[in-house]
Amino acid sequence: MSALTPTPASLRAVTGVQRRFRITPRFRGRELVLLSIVGFGLWVGALSLGATRRLKDAIAEGGDVPANLFQPAMPNIILTYVAALFVVHALFVVAGRRTDQILLPAVGLLGGIGLLLMIRLPQDLAGRLGGLGLTQLVWLLIGLAIIAVLGVAVRNDVWLRRYKYTWAAAGVGLLLLVFIFGNETNGARLSLTIGPFSGQPSELLKVILVVFLAGYLSENRPLLVEESTRIGPITLPPLPYLAPMVAMWAIALGIVIVQRDLGAALLFFAVFLLLLYISTARVSFVVLGVGAFIVGASVLYFLFGHVRQRIDVWLDPFADPTGAGFQIVQALHAFARGGLLGTGLGNGLPTIGGRPPIPALHTDFPFAALGEELGLVGILAILGLYLVLLERGLRIALAAQDEFRAILAAGLSLVMGVQAFIIAGGNLKLIPLTGITLPFVSYGGSSLLANAVIVGLLIALSERTREPLPPPRRAGRLRRLFDRGAV
Amino acid sequence: MDAAVLAIWVLRLLFLAMLYAFLYLVVKALVRDLRAAAREPTTELGRLVVLASPGGEPAPGASFALDAITTLGRDVNNSIVIEDKFVSATHAALTYRGRAWYVEDLGSTNGTFVNGGQVDGLSPLAFGDEIQVGQVRLRLERARS
Repeated sequence: MSALTPTPASLRAVTGVQRRFRITPRFRGRELVLLSIVGFGLWVGALSLGATRRLKDAIAEGGDVPANLFQPAMPNIILTYVAALFVVHALFVVAGRRTDQILLPAVGLLGGIGLLLMIRLPQDLAGRLGGLGLTQLVWLLIGLAIIAVLGVAVRNDVWLRRYKYTWAAAGVGLLLLVFIFGNETNGARLSLTIGPFSGQPSELLKVILVVFLAGYLSENRPLLVEESTRIGPITLPPLPYLAPMVAMWAIALGIVIVQRDLGAALLFFAVFLLLLYISTARVSFVVLGVGAFIVGASVLYFLFGHVRQRIDVWLDPFADPTGAGFQIVQALHAFARGGLLGTGLGNGLPTIGGRPPIPALHTDFPFAALGEELGLVGILAILGLYLVLLERGLRIALAAQDEFRAILAAGLSLVMGVQAFIIAGGNLKLIPLTGITLPFVSYGGSSLLANAVIVGLLIALSERTREPLPPPRRAGRLRRLFDRGAV
Repeated sequence: MDAAVLAIWVLRLLFLAMLYAFLYLVVKALVRDLRAAAREPTTELGRLVVLASPGGEPAPGASFALDAITTLGRDVNNSIVIEDKFVSATHAALTYRGRAWYVEDLGSTNGTFVNGGQVDGLSPLAFGDEIQVGQVRLRLERARS
C-alpha cells in the first residue's frame, strides 16, 4: 500500500514537469526581420544566377535575349530552404524561450550562400540524391531540424557536464575507429563508412572535444590559475595539470601522422590553447603551447612527406603550377578574376570538361569560388558573418551563469571561427592549405550536421533566465555580528 | 541585349547590397546589446576563491560571491562555513566599506593571516590578496562582470 502512495517528493516532481512544459509563445521580432532580409536576399541571388545563366546560354547559341530571362535558378530548392528557416523561427516563437535571435539568421544566410553556390556548380559533381543542390538542401534541412530541436529542447546541461570523461572516451573511441577502419581519400584517412552511412568523425569530434574541455577546465580552473612549478628562476605552469595538455598535443600529432588530417589537428590544438587561455588568463600556457606546436610541426616537416609537400606548396605554389600547386594556383587566379565586385553568380570561369577548374571546389574551395563570383566585397561580407557568429558566441559566454557554460559557449563559437579562418586562410594562401570545410557553406553532410549541433547548443545556452530571487536574509546573523562589535 | 546585361549587373549588385543590409542590421543589434549590457549594474562586490583546504569543506577551487558582510568560521551560521580543526566557530569577517574590502579577526584562537602576515584588528584587503584561516587559504577576487 505504502509503495503505491505518492510521496511528496514525487508529487513535486510531477508538478515541476508540468510547469516546465507550459508554453507561452514569445514574439521574436529581431529574428523575423533578419530572416526576411535573408529570404529576400537569397531570392535576389537566385534571380541573378538564373538570369546570368540564361543570358550566357543565349549568347552561346547566338540567339536573342530569352523572354524568360528573369526567373530564378532552381526556385523550389531556394523556396524550400527559406520556408524551413521560417518554420524553425515559428518553432522558437512557440517555444517562447528568451534565446539568441541573431544566430539563426546569420547561419541561415551562410547556408543559403552555400546553397546558391551548390546550385550554380555542375550538378553531377557529387551527391547521391539527384544532384549537388538537392543533396545540400537535404543536409541543410536536417541541420535546421537539429538546430530547432536543440534550441527548443535543451534546457539543462547536466548530461554534458556530468559525463565529461565519458564524452572524452567516446571521442577517443571515434578517433581509434577512424584510425583502424577509415577510408582513404587523397592520402588522408578521414571518413568512416558504417552500413549505408559515411561521414567524417573529426567533425563530430570537435564538438565532443569542446564539451570535454569545458568540463575539465571549469573544474580545474582555480588550480591551473593558482599553482605553479618553479625550476630555478623560471616559473612554469603547474606540471601535474599539464598532463592533459601533453595528451592533447599527442592526439593532434597522432591525427596528423595516422589520419594525415592537418586541418583537424590544427583546429583542435588552436581551440585547446584558446580555451586554456580564456579560462586561466595565463600567457605562459599559450607560450608553452605555441612552443610545443613549433617543435612538433618542425619535426613532422622533416619526417613526413605529406606535411613537407603542404608547406612547400604554400611557400611557392608556382614552382609546380600544373602539379602539386595546381589547386592553390587556380584558387589565386579565381580571386584575381573576381576583383572588387566579382563576376556575378554564375558568371565565373567556364568549367573545363564539365568540371570547375579548381579540384574539390565544393568542399575545400567554396571561398575561392565565392571570391570569384562575389568579389572582395562579397567575401568580406561572408567573413563578417563569421565574425558575427563569433561575437554572439563570446557574448553568450560572458553572460553565462557559470564557468562550464561560459567555457562551453566560448569553445563552441571559437571552433566555428577558427575553422572558418583556417580554410579561408588556406584558400587565400595566407597559411598552408588544409582540407577542412567552410562551416555552413561547404558541401558535405558531416560538417553541416556538426556545425548545426554547435549552433543549436549555442542557442540553447543563450537563454536569459530571470535572476532567481535572493533567499530571505536571516536576521540572526547580522544581530550576532553587531553584538560582538564586528560592524 | 545591353538592357539585359545592365539589369543583370544591377541584380548582382543588389545581392551584394542585401548581404551588407543584413550585416548592417545585425551590427546595429549587436551594438544595442552591448550598450544595454554596459548599463546593467552588477550586484556582486567580489568573490572569494578557495585555494587550499585540507578538510575538503569548502572544496578547493570553490568560489563564493560576497555580500557586504561575509563571515568565516566553523559555526553553521557563518556565510562561509569552514570545516577545519584550526578554525574557530566565529573566526573572521570580510566587510565592504566605502569602496574597499576589510578583513577582521573576530577573536579567533589561531589568528587570521593576510599574505602571510597576522591581522591585528581591522585590516584593508586588496583584490588578489591571500587570506589564511586555520589551514585554509582563500583569495579575494574581483566580481565577475
